[in-house]
Amino acid sequence: MVSITIKNLTKTYGNTIAVKDLNLQIKDKEFFVFLGPSGCGKTTTLFAIAGLVEVDAGEIWIGDELVTSVEQGIHKPPREREISMVFQDYAIYPHMTVFDNIAFPLQIRKTDKHEIEERVKKTAELLGISQLLNRKPRQLSGGQRQRVALGRAMVRRPKVFLMDEPLANLDAKLRVQTRTELKKLQLELGVTTVYVTHDQVEAMTMADRIMVQRDGITEQIGTPDELYNHPSNLFVAGFIGSPEMNFMDCALVEEKKGLCLDAKEFKIFLPSKVSSELRSFIGKQVIMGIRPENIYESKSVEANTMENAVKMTLDLIEPVGPFLLLHLRAGRISLVATVKDTRASAGQEVIMEMDLSKIHLFDKKTTKAIV
Amino acid sequence: MEPPLSPTIEPLITAFNLMKGPLLNSLIFTGAAMILSCLLGSINGYILTKIRFKGSNTIFLLFSIGIFLPYQAVLVPLVLTMSRLGLYNNIAGLILVHTTYGITITTLLFRNFYGLIPNSLIMAAKTDGAGTWTIYRRVVLPLSLLPFVVAGVLQFTSIWNDFLFGVVLARGAEALPASVQLANLKGTTEVTWNIQMAGTLWYALPVLIIYIIMGKYLIRGYMAGAIKG
Repeated sequence: MVSITIKNLTKTYGNTIAVKDLNLQIKDKEFFVFLGPSGCGKTTTLFAIAGLVEVDAGEIWIGDELVTSVEQGIHKPPREREISMVFQDYAIYPHMTVFDNIAFPLQIRKTDKHEIEERVKKTAELLGISQLLNRKPRQLSGGQRQRVALGRAMVRRPKVFLMDEPLANLDAKLRVQTRTELKKLQLELGVTTVYVTHDQVEAMTMADRIMVQRDGITEQIGTPDELYNHPSNLFVAGFIGSPEMNFMDCALVEEKKGLCLDAKEFKIFLPSKVSSELRSFIGKQVIMGIRPENIYESKSVEANTMENAVKMTLDLIEPVGPFLLLHLRAGRISLVATVKDTRASAGQEVIMEMDLSKIHLFDKKTTKAIV
Repeated sequence: MEPPLSPTIEPLITAFNLMKGPLLNSLIFTGAAMILSCLLGSINGYILTKIRFKGSNTIFLLFSIGIFLPYQAVLVPLVLTMSRLGLYNNIAGLILVHTTYGITITTLLFRNFYGLIPNSLIMAAKTDGAGTWTIYRRVVLPLSLLPFVVAGVLQFTSIWNDFLFGVVLARGAEALPASVQLANLKGTTEVTWNIQMAGTLWYALPVLIIYIIMGKYLIRGYMAGAIKG
């Protein structure tokens, strides 16, 4: 059982706060992703787990071993933590052959020579790089180097894998391919993995759970499904999903027909059953969010007959292969919708319907989600 | 102009006999000081770029100032210190002085080169289980051939060519450097030009050999960093 527990972790660089008061529990065998824009503190958190940076406050436990504790003055160096790491630029040793690169962690630990050879060969076989063992890194392609870095991380059979954007330097096609292989490998080996990325697609496809970070602060922790369907604030809602969620400022007002979101250009009537929390926002400004796939073209010709329909101008159609992106406008409000097909062409007026069960509402002041 | 009437290598032999002791002295202290100053410069460069501690920039600044310190400025205290240490007129003394003086420039060279080694390489070695010294020995040192050649040639040439420290610190035969002996070849009243010139040839030979052997590495070293490796 190797879980990772982080308590009240804080790290600052000069005046910038890299990580602020982070509390986190990563479960055994979990594929856990730190996701966020660059400079959000995700790599710092990873380096703190690895022992590569000294933190200002907090505790880190790997399994039941306390590896970092500022209060107790504990900072175990990386070599005393049973972790191994894959770096963005692979960081394989340029003067060593592939064999020596993979064998390095074992050689350092003075493992028996025959065992080293056996384990390196086994690892190379698993990664499909057996034929490259005698080459030098400069003779390898980016994808092959990446495998060598993975091999070096795996050969020691660590308790935890730490990966710092390992796919960022690969070209798009190879990245998608390696993504799948990496996920399979992790399932096969069953090693607790912490993975850092700024690519939300990578995070969504690979992770068991994701932590979204921004400016050193945790915005949300949850499964990909939770983050996508129940973002807890405006930032997560906007960060996860491509194309992005549509947002518009609305006032929540009570009319005869029921609760209504008034966006000035149009009104959307909410279903009669709403939570008491939402009721407390009546008369206040809220932000409504709706994902592009939850807006579709109406079969009706008249917007007024339905409470969730809006008349908009179709500015542009972008074909993306499996679907079309419709860029829509109504006054100052622009929306993007993804549809399979459309009868309309650019410049026309269309009636769009919104799936009211899929709308997200956020408090304009705190940007937190309203349930 | 006409060809020499009686060609001879006599002056070369005479000069060699006069120069061989001092040449050996020079080879010993130049070689030793070159190796020591390069090794220390390499360790300094590694620590200054990859370990980073409070005040490391200040220390580097002090090293850099050392490069601009003229020999003449430290001559008197240097002689006093060396004689108090019992290293006056001593090859070990020359090694110590040249190493100390060389560390400044070798530190600068190695520091700049190690700045090109990605930090992730060091961090990878750390997570692979290596300690500070193992990282230096197994990762940093094997990648340092080029700066060792550049710093080595630079140090060899400047120590070999030094006259001032030699003439001040080692006047006796036991430590007399070749550069000083070369000046001694000309007498006080007259100069035997053939022997003088032959001596110069012997004196120039080691540097020439070093350049011929190291030439190709030297060019690569000067170019290092110009192209992404």
